Amino acid sequence: MQSMLSINHLTVAVNGKEILRDFSLTINPGEVHAIMGPNGTGKSTLAATLAGREEYEVVSGEILYKGRNLLEMEADERAREGIFLAFQYPVEIPGVSTTNFMKAAVNAKRKHQGLEPLDAREFLKLMNEKAQLVDIKREFLSRSINEGFSGGEKKRNEIFQMAMLEPSLCILDETDSGLDIDALRIVANGVNRLRSPERSFLVITHYQRLLNYIIPDYVHVLFDGRIAKSGGKELALKLEAEGYDWVKEELVAD
Amino acid sequence: MENIATQFKSLANSFSKESLALRKEALASFQKLGIPTTRHEEWKYTNIKARLRQEFSLLPAESRVNKAVKNYIASLPPYTYRLTFLNGVFHPELSIIPDLKGVTVCSLREAAAHTGGIVEKHFGRLVDYSQEHFAALNTAFVTDGAFIHIHKNVAVNEPIYLQYFFTATDEYAFVQTRNLVVLEEGASLSLAEDFRNASNIDVQYNHVAEMYVGNNARLDVVELQLEVSNAIGIHTLESKVNRNGRLSAATITFSSPNTGTGQSLIRNNLTARLTGEGAHAEFAGLYFGKENALIDNHVLIDHIAPNCTSNQLYKGVLSDEATGVFNGKIFVKPGAQKTNAYQSSKALLLSKGASVNSKPQLEIFADDVKCSHGAAIGQLDENALFYLMTRGVSRHEATQILTYAFAHEVVEHIQTKPIRQFLCDKLRDELHLNF
Ligand SMILES: Nc1ncnc2c1ncn2[C@@H]1O[C@H](COP(=O)(O)OP(=O)(O)OP(=O)(O)O)[C@@H](O)[C@H]1O
Ligand SMILES: [Mg+2]
Repeated sequence: MQSMLSINHLTVAVNGKEILRDFSLTINPGEVHAIMGPNGTGKSTLAATLAGREEYEVVSGEILYKGRNLLEMEADERAREGIFLAFQYPVEIPGVSTTNFMKAAVNAKRKHQGLEPLDAREFLKLMNEKAQLVDIKREFLSRSINEGFSGGEKKRNEIFQMAMLEPSLCILDETDSGLDIDALRIVANGVNRLRSPERSFLVITHYQRLLNYIIPDYVHVLFDGRIAKSGGKELALKLEAEGYDWVKEELVAD
Repeated sequence: MENIATQFKSLANSFSKESLALRKEALASFQKLGIPTTRHEEWKYTNIKARLRQEFSLLPAESRVNKAVKNYIASLPPYTYRLTFLNGVFHPELSIIPDLKGVTVCSLREAAAHTGGIVEKHFGRLVDYSQEHFAALNTAFVTDGAFIHIHKNVAVNEPIYLQYFFTATDEYAFVQTRNLVVLEEGASLSLAEDFRNASNIDVQYNHVAEMYVGNNARLDVVELQLEVSNAIGIHTLESKVNRNGRLSAATITFSSPNTGTGQSLIRNNLTARLTGEGAHAEFAGLYFGKENALIDNHVLIDHIAPNCTSNQLYKGVLSDEATGVFNGKIFVKPGAQKTNAYQSSKALLLSKGASVNSKPQLEIFADDVKCSHGAAIGQLDENALFYLMTRGVSRHEATQILTYAFAHEVVEHIQTKPIRQFLCDKLRDELHLNF
């Protein structure tokens, strides 16, 4: 089976400073991988590098996405090829509604796939269906993208967009932070309904709680730019109970 | 080419007796002032002298409605009310004049003959032709234009379009156009001044409008400069707003030369004098410059009476080698206490060769006032671009979307719904967006 994503010995620098160092990870279709780890260890750097942010300079290593060299593609092409990043800090864009933005995005993807653009009715239908999935009110979609949204509303909007674009690889960067308990359940349910044997998830989180809802196949601990420990879902429980010190100690002992 | 004085003499017979003295004064003033150079503070960044033809004809230009012009006009929306001018000459057969009680709409030439003293009382009284080069030239030479007089407490419900088409039949023509708008107490009107180069050759024109907004009256004006490629156009709007009157004026400019030889140059001089307590003026501007176009907005809101409010919102999008100029003046005269005035000017530079000269100018001679201004010049936010691209839209389309978002705010400001709607669509078309 071809892997969804295969990251091999990746070193990434920002402003000359190495953040990810010799990082490797393979994700197969249908799998859910969770990444945890202390603040500032490079989780968002990994997410942004996968999404194609240019400031993140790949110093060495490779990333294969569905067997293709991801590093040759720009951010927009990656997205059309099925990579989606739900931002830790979604950007506010005054003056463009989420609806209009999604129209442009969905049709850009369809064009890439050689499909006709959706007409107004088809688009509306798709939007209503996906809005229901994450229980997002229509009025939010006609407002400017994320402008004046609460933290939780922004995260919900990210998952809505993800649902609209039906990606193959979903990267969720701390989508749970800022969500109240009900919203967490709704967002997690939304994600779970998108789970399929052809779709993979990379879920970055600080809290085990999310993983009660979105049950991961693997949990990795990122430390100092590389994976220090991997395990199953029980690793998240241990981290929640004991913190990161023991991982650090194991590293030193090695 | 005959010199200015000779040209004036050959026109003098066609001017109304009443206006002749004023025109002579204006002529003398222009002869003294001449065409401004960049040494002139108000024209520092706009080298009009280098762009205008050294010699020009001020005599009424040829104004035959040929097939091309007819087709062009037919392609426009069927406005309910419109006055149509071709090379400055009024064409009643192309116009639809409102026939409403308390509303006088006609050509300026007719008005001078039939409306008694009202034209003399207002014509040339707001523009300062002793100082303003092009207002002087226009006041001396203009032969026609639109006249609108709305009587007390009359509201006109449909917008009136004043359409000015240009076709360069004579390359030396420097077409002078003029509007005079008088709103009596409590009147209200929505107006569009629409300028189009209906040919693909270079044209030059000089437009002056004087607008009077009476007590409690309300005037919404939109200056449409959407098809002014290959044009050198100078627009002057002088207005006076009385007690509790309200003026909103928006200038929308899309300029890029594509078929002519020269540079598109649009200069807007927009002035509102708030002469009665509680008056309000709102200026908004949106300009798109491409290729080597130059778009210059000089605006002034003059707070003369106390308790007046004003707002200026200008946004420019410049690409290629285009240049923008913004000079925004707020004057607060002694005694204009409790003034509340705000100005914002922003420009987006989409290429390395594009530039903008932006200058706020606040002169405040009263102590109890609130005045503020903000200016920003920059590129599109990389964070926002990246965000859009991570959803699959190309960098190009993301740029268009963000430009739309930037520009849309100004269009939203336009009060007249059909014009706002039309401009929204136009903006989307211009940016090739199909949402
Ligand atoms: N654009 C940048 N310029 C300079 N330093 C950066 C930049 N982006 C990230 N860094 C640094 O890289 C390191 C890793 O940042 P990153 O955002 O990837 O951490 P994280 O694991 O996501 O942390 P958190 O859990 O707080 O979200 C941090 O030290 C951060 O300051
Ligand atoms: Mg992070």
